[in-house]
Amino acid sequence: MSTHTEIPDQTVVTSNGGPSFHDALVALLPKLRVQALSLTRNRADADDLVQAAVTNALAAQASFAPGTNFGAWMYRILRNRFISDRRRRRETIDMDDAPAEAFARPARQEDSLALRELRTEMEKLPADQRAALVMVTVQGMSYEEVAAAMGCAVGTAKCRVFRARCTLEARLMGEPEQGDNAKRRRGAGPVASASRSVSRDARRADQAPPTVRHGM
Amino acid sequence: MDEPEDERKDKVSGRTGASRGRGAKKAVPDAAFDIWLRRGLHQMFDDVAREPIPPELLRLIEQDRRK
Repeated sequence: MSTHTEIPDQTVVTSNGGPSFHDALVALLPKLRVQALSLTRNRADADDLVQAAVTNALAAQASFAPGTNFGAWMYRILRNRFISDRRRRRETIDMDDAPAEAFARPARQEDSLALRELRTEMEKLPADQRAALVMVTVQGMSYEEVAAAMGCAVGTAKCRVFRARCTLEARLMGEPEQGDNAKRRRGAGPVASASRSVSRDARRADQAPPTVRHGM
Repeated sequence: MDEPEDERKDKVSGRTGASRGRGAKKAVPDAAFDIWLRRGLHQMFDDVAREPIPPELLRLIEQDRRK
């Protein structure tokens, strides 16, 4: 899996030679925006969050130790800022009760029903599970990198990704979740049908003559 | 980013060697769901990463660089 913007998360900012603090920050901005959206679920709030995190990072740049993982340092600032903003906002409105805005993105014609369901279910996940899943699946980060970015143990990072994935599969494929006694029909709905079509493609690929697999 | 595709699938699904032995019947839908999920999430988030960075954000960084 690859992201289209190949910006190393583990950029080493050095005092001499390598990229400067500011260069590394600019290079990381596209990924920070993705991560901010995964936390806020809303484009406008994501942009505000990135701006606030960048302001905090610039003010705290003296505390960054050159030679350490710049991406993890920035993700931690972004997440801490998100948590403190959310705490402040919760005094007036409970974000989880706020109306779902489908990541505040206008629905496009090519959006399938299945993708719309995925957006809706992603919004319902706890923020840390959503962020961890996006770090691994979209940003291509390792569990160690996720743990460093979230300031948690590697096992916790794995658990967050695993739970997010299980919850999405259960809700989207119509499987009962853990502790959910309601019997649901497996394989119903647009996601199950989209997933079955992926499965058919995969089986066809299995039957095809082997091809050389290129690394990404 | 250089991991084989199969390893990446297992990363997202959280499967281990032991759980892989649950049987081929269950493994196929899991793998299909993982592929579908990865594609879906990329569709959801790749646009954001491709968008141009807001100029005021770049200005903020450049102003600090000049200090």
